[in-house]
Amino acid sequence: MSHHYLDVRDLRYAYPDGTEALKGVSFRLEHGEACALVGANGAGKSTMMLALTGLILPSGGTVDVGGTVLSKKTAADVRRRIGFVFQDSEDQLFMPTVFDDVAFGPLNQGLSEAEVRNRVSVALSEAGAEHLADRPTHRLSGGEKRSVAIATVLAMLPDILILDEPGSGLDPYGRRLLVGMLRNFRHTRLIATHDLDLVLDVCPRTIVLHEGKVAADGPTADIFRRADLLERCRLEVPFRMQNGLSK
Amino acid sequence: MSGSIERNLSALAEAVDHSQASGLVHGLDPRAKILVTLLFVIAVTSFGKYEVSRLMPFALYPAVLTGLSGVSPGRVLKRTLIAAPFVLFVGLFNPLFDRTPLLRIGPLVLTGGWMSFFSIIARSFLAVSAAVLLVLTTRFDLLCLGLERMGIPRVFVVQLQFLWRYLVLLAGEAQRMVRAHTLRSWGNRSGVSLKTFASLAGSLLLRTLDRAGRVYGAMKARGFDGEIRMLRPLSFSLSRDGLFLLAWGGYFLVCRFVNLPELLSGAVGR
Repeated sequence: MSHHYLDVRDLRYAYPDGTEALKGVSFRLEHGEACALVGANGAGKSTMMLALTGLILPSGGTVDVGGTVLSKKTAADVRRRIGFVFQDSEDQLFMPTVFDDVAFGPLNQGLSEAEVRNRVSVALSEAGAEHLADRPTHRLSGGEKRSVAIATVLAMLPDILILDEPGSGLDPYGRRLLVGMLRNFRHTRLIATHDLDLVLDVCPRTIVLHEGKVAADGPTADIFRRADLLERCRLEVPFRMQNGLSK
Repeated sequence: MSGSIERNLSALAEAVDHSQASGLVHGLDPRAKILVTLLFVIAVTSFGKYEVSRLMPFALYPAVLTGLSGVSPGRVLKRTLIAAPFVLFVGLFNPLFDRTPLLRIGPLVLTGGWMSFFSIIARSFLAVSAAVLLVLTTRFDLLCLGLERMGIPRVFVVQLQFLWRYLVLLAGEAQRMVRAHTLRSWGNRSGVSLKTFASLAGSLLLRTLDRAGRVYGAMKARGFDGEIRMLRPLSFSLSRDGLFLLAWGGYFLVCRFVNLPELLSGAVGR
């Protein structure tokens, strides 16, 4: 199972209005790695995640997902292997009930009914949301929506998980549950977030994006100690480490 | 304006709660309920334009269904009356134009115009109440599924499903915008001006388009290929749903083709 890697080479993307959002980004995630993608607003995080899932096609460079190079032709195949959790769960949950929503992906894969039911119950329990199965999606709380959104992606058995701001809008308890869940996953994980404390808890590695380029890539502990780098990229040393420094 | 959005939202939430309740009527196959409602509406609307008395036996259906389902009659009445203004406008001019005397009760002369006016009101009241009951006693997703299984093209059913899913969100967004507007327009009691309304509606449309794009992305990311698949077997039980369909269908047929009120008054008269 060493093919769950994600290899990005010189990725470029310019929006139709000419704005260059990605100016040659390269990195490689190995199987099972948990990596954070941090950067200021407008650094290119969202664009990169859309490009990785083939929802927009890059204007240059390559994305290699476990041996399949992303193109218009392979996009469907790549999406089967990458699970993308949207920032706004409302966008991710579009079916009438939680069960239907989690079953949406597996049903599109053409699985049998028994298999779909099994996938749904496993995914819901991994996301800690078994009890929500019969609820209508629009009546869930913010934290419940996030769990279910993650379950919808888990049900597709992806090799790689890409999460956009998974902790935003969660209360401290919901956030703790999320951190526990993310740490337990064995998928290759790329987590885009401004929540550097969450990064400290979940991701041993961090990539800093700045103005469409990789400004730093390395062990989270090292990167978060470089106050000058963080400052330059419009970030700051996480709260928890600030306390550590002052002691 | 923001108040009315709030009211409508809570009405919607209420409808959802009701449709999710369990009960005798709620447990019926949606197809049976849709068919019975359809038959009811067809039967009620197929009478001649002066007919009032023969519509009366049809009131049994909404009455019995309200009783069996446990939905409060007041709620059904309230929802039904929402259509009243439109109906009043439709029938408003009948009494003015059609002055043929049809019925004499003591000194009171009822013209054809008045009879057709009452007929329109009675019909619409019956038809709308049946539709309201259908929605209040059936979960929306099951209703859509029933429609689909009955051969309604998938495109329309999917439209309905998405409308239902995102209506709440759209209303919430509109509500927040109106609130934000209210908070920054002191002393302006006339509400949202036409110009502001145009830009509010415009930005609501843009937000909706953005959201539609993201939702479509989320669907594609999970292998959407133009067809929405659902695991939701409907089971049409002959002893339950078949009976429901047959009993009411039969009753509507009898009411339609046999003049029950006349028979009854005849029996009483003798």
